[in-house]
Amino acid sequence: MTKLALSALFCSSLLFGCGQNQSDPKQSDSVSNSSEQMTDSAAKQTLPQQSYNSGKPFSIGQPVSQDVIAGWDIDVRPDGLGLPKGSGSVEDGEELYEQKCALCHGSFGEGVKRWPKLSGGQGTLVEDKPEKTVGSYWPYASTLWDYINRAMPFTAPQSLEADEVYAITAYVLNLNDIVDDDFVLTQENFAAIQMPNKDGFYTDDRPDIKNPRCMSDCLDPAKIKETASLRGISPTDHFKNDGNTGVAYKEDDHQAASSETAEIDIDPEIKQTYDTACKVCHAGGLAGAPKLGVAADWKARLELGTENIYKNAINGLNGMPPKGGRADLSDETIKATVDYMLKMSQAE
Amino acid sequence: MSGFSEKEEQKLLGTLERESENLGITERRQFLKNALLFAGGGAVAAQSGSLAAASSNLPPSVPSWTRSLGAGVLTNPYGKPSHYEKEVQRRTVPWLTADSISSISMTPLHKLKGIITPNGLVFERYHGGVPVINPDEHRLIIHGLVDRPIIFTMDELRRFPSVSEIKFLECPANGGMEWRGPQMEALQFTHGMISCCEWTGVRLSTLLAEVGIKTEGKWILAEGADGAGMARSIPMDKALDDAIVVYAQNGEALRPEQGYPLRLMNPGWEGNTSIKWLRRLEIGDKPWYMREETSKYTDLMEDGRARKFTFVQECNSVITTPSPEVPLKAKGWFEIEGLAWSGHGKIKAVDISLDGGVTWQEAPLKGLVLSKCLTRFSFMLNWQGEPLLLQSRAIDETGYVQPTISQLREQRGVNSIYHKNSIHTWKVNSDGSVQNVQLT
Repeated sequence: MTKLALSALFCSSLLFGCGQNQSDPKQSDSVSNSSEQMTDSAAKQTLPQQSYNSGKPFSIGQPVSQDVIAGWDIDVRPDGLGLPKGSGSVEDGEELYEQKCALCHGSFGEGVKRWPKLSGGQGTLVEDKPEKTVGSYWPYASTLWDYINRAMPFTAPQSLEADEVYAITAYVLNLNDIVDDDFVLTQENFAAIQMPNKDGFYTDDRPDIKNPRCMSDCLDPAKIKETASLRGISPTDHFKNDGNTGVAYKEDDHQAASSETAEIDIDPEIKQTYDTACKVCHAGGLAGAPKLGVAADWKARLELGTENIYKNAINGLNGMPPKGGRADLSDETIKATVDYMLKMSQAE
Repeated sequence: MSGFSEKEEQKLLGTLERESENLGITERRQFLKNALLFAGGGAVAAQSGSLAAASSNLPPSVPSWTRSLGAGVLTNPYGKPSHYEKEVQRRTVPWLTADSISSISMTPLHKLKGIITPNGLVFERYHGGVPVINPDEHRLIIHGLVDRPIIFTMDELRRFPSVSEIKFLECPANGGMEWRGPQMEALQFTHGMISCCEWTGVRLSTLLAEVGIKTEGKWILAEGADGAGMARSIPMDKALDDAIVVYAQNGEALRPEQGYPLRLMNPGWEGNTSIKWLRRLEIGDKPWYMREETSKYTDLMEDGRARKFTFVQECNSVITTPSPEVPLKAKGWFEIEGLAWSGHGKIKAVDISLDGGVTWQEAPLKGLVLSKCLTRFSFMLNWQGEPLLLQSRAIDETGYVQPTISQLREQRGVNSIYHKNSIHTWKVNSDGSVQNVQLT
């Protein structure tokens, strides 16, 4: 081993320390004061490539082609950079929205339960209860296209075709009166869309408050107004009853159901499928979904036979999208997941 | 089991089950068998700790655990806390979010000591649940305005020189439920969206030197491999300053909840910028305005306009003992303890008030005082049953003094959700119970 290699080995335990001491001996004082300062300031000053390799890259990792990058490079910017070729009409968007979005966001973007409201709220940002929707708050339409494309529908992210994303985006803009009923959104006309609240944002200007460090006679004790916290809206059983009552998060009947039936033999993969593909609606009964753990919800459906439930789960029915929106799941997996839900609901 | 009522019998079985649950199958069977034999003979009190008269394990008696042998090595190949610590767990307030997949849970700060949060108790925040990622199939791509776009495997990332730094991680919504008034009856819910770990990984600046940033490159899009495709725009200055691409926390691989196998860590900045399950870094000349930097994580002010890119978690503090979960159970001397932190650097001082902010005294800092890291403060109080309005006020190395709730509301209104870092008040009643109150 050469002398240089040896010194590199020793240096590697000091991270940036070696190069830094050579270039700026004063910095070694701060090392004894605080190792934190050393790494913080060293990061700005000396790269390990400079310390070890005359500033040349270590050349770890592989070159990557544009074709490979393209599969993951999905982001879209306000100026339209990143948008793929394609188009979609408000009309097509309405149909897709009803199938894939209305379940949580409501037919008119009004939001179901605590799921996000998408429309309305214009003019409410200065009110006591502002409604921050796509139309009232979002500064750029690109955010809508990008988010639908990367994360929606909630149970099946990155499952939509580009034209479908254009169409749903157009429809949500239409719900907010930003485009007309006959509008067709395209890659070309995208950047021209102006959102109502585009000028409603400014860059962080904190610190915005200067509190003097007063040490005595800071307030008149007689003028202190005391407000107590609201009772009963945050869980307290875990400390007030002097013992553990389990997790604080109870998802409606679901937690109770799963603890009572914990003896049932469960395939963890099927449970995982339920948790990621079905639970969103079937834990709380969204859009009329039969709830896990509530036998009565399932018994009415069982009267038509288990095969019928399998069929509806695979092909979809009313609010239930085909396979819960997860086209990647096999029919067998869907059937096993239905069986799991029936078991957990004690409705077999 | 003769000699026991049905109720007593159930209680006994419950106790035995709890006490034996850390044993292996064979040991457990033997334990239960022995216990039942004793029970039959009416001698269970000598064998079973909690069911027996409490005094039997106290001096001058010799405790049962001293007169028997414990479990052997590898009973728990990956160790767990004592089962008496079962209530130390993450919790949430169910009405905060629509479901548990895009949701948050809080760290039990009232049960923690020192500045490190154990990995299993670090608060959770997911936008699309926790993906199950095979590390052999995980990749990080760095591309955009670069000289050499590169794809990295986990093994390749581990060949770079690594750093290990203790930094806090905080959700900007920590405390955000209390802009209009106090709502939460527990410290875990008022302040639990914060944790602090030793993070190990490669400085982002090291990786950026590998790809070579073009001069127009001013922003970086960091993107996760989760079902939300969680993404944020990060200014180049931060990336070159102290950002770390992290693969380990507190000595072990990242937990799945924390981004296994790879995450970004932007020290001192709002937690959601520290993208978990990191798969892609794209260099660009402008920010992207993703959903989580427009619709969410922007701070709505009273005039209807909103602040954007509010990255820094400003100086904050809270008293952890006493707290609603940790009342004063007797009169006499107590250690009053708490945590302070600042996204701008080190904590310089923490002041304590017993009278709701009329008078203040400086509390000693203890242990490590590091930049952008939880810092402990403590002082001793001889409590004789007098009611207290207990507050802490932190000052960071920039000279910034933690504000009051009135100052925050006056400046920002009550609808900004994020970045509420006001002085917190615990009301200690004469019976030692502790309540969350706001003083104005």
